[in-house]
Amino acid sequence: MQRSVWQWIDIEARKLLPFGLTFIFVLYGVTPNHVPGFAQVTPMYALICIYFWSVYRPDLFGYGSGFFIGVAEDLLTGAPVGSSVLAFLLTQWLIFNQHKFFYAKSFVVIWLVFAVIAAGAILVKWFCVGIVSEFGFARAEDLAGTCLVTITLYPLFSWLLAKVQLTVLTNE
Amino acid sequence: MERARTAMSDAVVPLLRVMSEPASAISKAVTNFRELASIREENGRLREENIRLQKWQVVAERLETANRALNELLVLSPEPAISYVTARVVGDTGGAFAQSMLITAGREQGVQKGQAVIAGEGLVGRVSQVGRRSSRVLLISDINSRIPVLVGEVGLRAMLAGDNSNRPRLFYLDTKSIVSPGDSVVTSGAAGAFLPGIPVGQVVRVVENAVQLEPYIARNRITHVRIVDFGLGEILSGLNSK
Repeated sequence: MQRSVWQWIDIEARKLLPFGLTFIFVLYGVTPNHVPGFAQVTPMYALICIYFWSVYRPDLFGYGSGFFIGVAEDLLTGAPVGSSVLAFLLTQWLIFNQHKFFYAKSFVVIWLVFAVIAAGAILVKWFCVGIVSEFGFARAEDLAGTCLVTITLYPLFSWLLAKVQLTVLTNE
Repeated sequence: MERARTAMSDAVVPLLRVMSEPASAISKAVTNFRELASIREENGRLREENIRLQKWQVVAERLETANRALNELLVLSPEPAISYVTARVVGDTGGAFAQSMLITAGREQGVQKGQAVIAGEGLVGRVSQVGRRSSRVLLISDINSRIPVLVGEVGLRAMLAGDNSNRPRLFYLDTKSIVSPGDSVVTSGAAGAFLPGIPVGQVVRVVENAVQLEPYIARNRITHVRIVDFGLGEILSGLNSK
């Protein structure tokens, strides 16, 4: 059956949704939220999205998407360009290499694995930022807040993204 | 790379402007509610402060007259006039990696790299990147921020250095100098491009190797900032072109 132009646009737009949503969360991450103390522990929303899409829809979120989201995150947050890129690409590389592990695993297992991967990715970014900084490394204990909030928020974001996947991406 | 950053900032600032509206509106509503709850108490405090400030106004006017007369005697050339550019904060990047803000004023509004940025209570940081209609402000808490300051009433010279935490530290203080919690810290104006006397914060903790500072600014309440232009545009552009 031949597809009309509109159908083709609709399907392609749905395919771009994971990337688009992740980019929106990158923007959301730099939007002021006016919550006292929250700026110090701003979570890595992009990392949550990248993990989710790489586990559940690797066909729609490959290395290219991870690379561009990393560049956008670094340009927008003022971090050295390449630090988020490396953290995100390593995250994806790990997930893609172990994709069989993620089949039919319970949510708790997926969340626990995310906790380990998030901690690793945040350490990678911290190392990259520190190595190019003229003034050395930030204190490692200051990473704990960002890491904990990122891990804690995973279930909420995972639920949101799962809803999107079920409603928009099931019949593309 | 800086051009890529400024191009990105210019491109997303209109989006961020829209996205930051809801949080800003909620923040304003919460502040209004808090202020309403403590309006009587606040009124009493403001009356007392007003009486105190009126006394200071008399002192300031007397000093200004004396200062003008002395300047005329010495034939001093007048200091350049200070002007401000007000901008809205649409981006606030925190966490352990970088501490900066994106604001809605850039080259077109006369913003230049290196200018001091202040909010109501004190120094926020300095302009680190300038786009066409947006700029990035490197906060005093960022690990790459270094600001020459004066500490306490005697004005001890020191360098304020961020460490990506919410309490930047003072360095290069004379080891024999006495600094204690409660001492106020202001910019020294050393190195030229910063206005002297901008309030920065208060010393909160003095331990053997570190003097920590609590900034005057409440970061979560900042919605607008002012970029200070005190007539050093030519010097700044000269520094920036190097």
